[in-house]
Amino acid sequence: MKKLVDFAINVGKLKGKKRKGWTMINKIKDSETTAEHIFRATILAWILGKGKNLNMEKVIKMALVHDLCEVFSKDQTPYDNLISKNMKWREVREVLKRGSRNQYAPGQREKMLHKKFENEMKGLNRLLSELPSAIKSEMKNLWLEYEKGMTSEGRFVKQIDKVENLFQALEYWKKYGKIQRDSWIIAAREWCIDPFLVEFLNALDKKFPNSKKVHQS
Amino acid sequence: MDKKFYLTKQGLQHLKKEYEDLKNLRFAKTQSEFPKTMDSEDVNAEYLSFQEDLDLLETRINELEFILKNVELIGCPQKQEQDIVCLGAHVKVEINGEPDEFQIVGTLEANPTLGKISNESPVGEAILGRKKGEMVALNTATKVNYKILDIKYGK
Repeated sequence: MKKLVDFAINVGKLKGKKRKGWTMINKIKDSETTAEHIFRATILAWILGKGKNLNMEKVIKMALVHDLCEVFSKDQTPYDNLISKNMKWREVREVLKRGSRNQYAPGQREKMLHKKFENEMKGLNRLLSELPSAIKSEMKNLWLEYEKGMTSEGRFVKQIDKVENLFQALEYWKKYGKIQRDSWIIAAREWCIDPFLVEFLNALDKKFPNSKKVHQS
Repeated sequence: MDKKFYLTKQGLQHLKKEYEDLKNLRFAKTQSEFPKTMDSEDVNAEYLSFQEDLDLLETRINELEFILKNVELIGCPQKQEQDIVCLGAHVKVEINGEPDEFQIVGTLEANPTLGKISNESPVGEAILGRKKGEMVALNTATKVNYKILDIKYGK
């Protein structure tokens, strides 16, 4: 039982782990934590996945475990090598506007993704190491299916992750006004292929219209 | 009718290799042999998990069998059609004036972080069938315009 308590303590650390993309890169004060992201992603997976030819128990569990690795792994973003702490906001904004993928050579992008995957896998293995083998295998398999898009459920939850990211970006854009709104909107439309999710993205656009006056922080 | 999975030649080779490797692993496990490791760095970590867990191995083998049964190879279009964006095209664009470059692929190979965009995504759908020089508006409440600067096929 002690091992289960220890696991729950470690998972609880995500309640206080602020997501680096918002704090370090977008300079959002009081940004969401990983646990908060997981929470809404899971609810979205549930309500937007219903009625599809998907194993919903698997989808919901997968959404719950998709970022658990961050208890021990570094929270990496594609901008880590492009944005430094000393950069002025104006410079950061220019980097964000250009997007990350074309600022790396093709081979470099694959290498970075592979390194990220290995770090996260290592973090997950550490988190799950003391759990009973059945639950350990289930969590690890769900994470791998998500991470590598091995199954329809994995590919669906990957899209949900991007929808939740856009949702949060639009909320911060509305509140602080310094988010690169268009980049997030485009990114979600590159990742999402499910027609119902695309419809949801369009509804999100309407909920956060560009013409609305934003509050500057 | 089953869904078609569009793959590039490279993508198909990669999946076929993974399928053969996993079948060999399954055979080795049933024979209690120590399986040979895969030579691909990319799948090493998963391979270790497959060694540990037969369920994941079976899930992946079934998924790969389904994909390989319904696969459609992405070919190079005829020369006179190479100024049109088709599956497999490498496209240079300007998005609201910012330069960008990506390839249009099938969903299984899509990874926008790596510049591979699915033909089924709203961006893929908007760009497919368009010609060099055309302006394409993404169907969103926000104004997002793509100008197609160049289209190339092959590596």
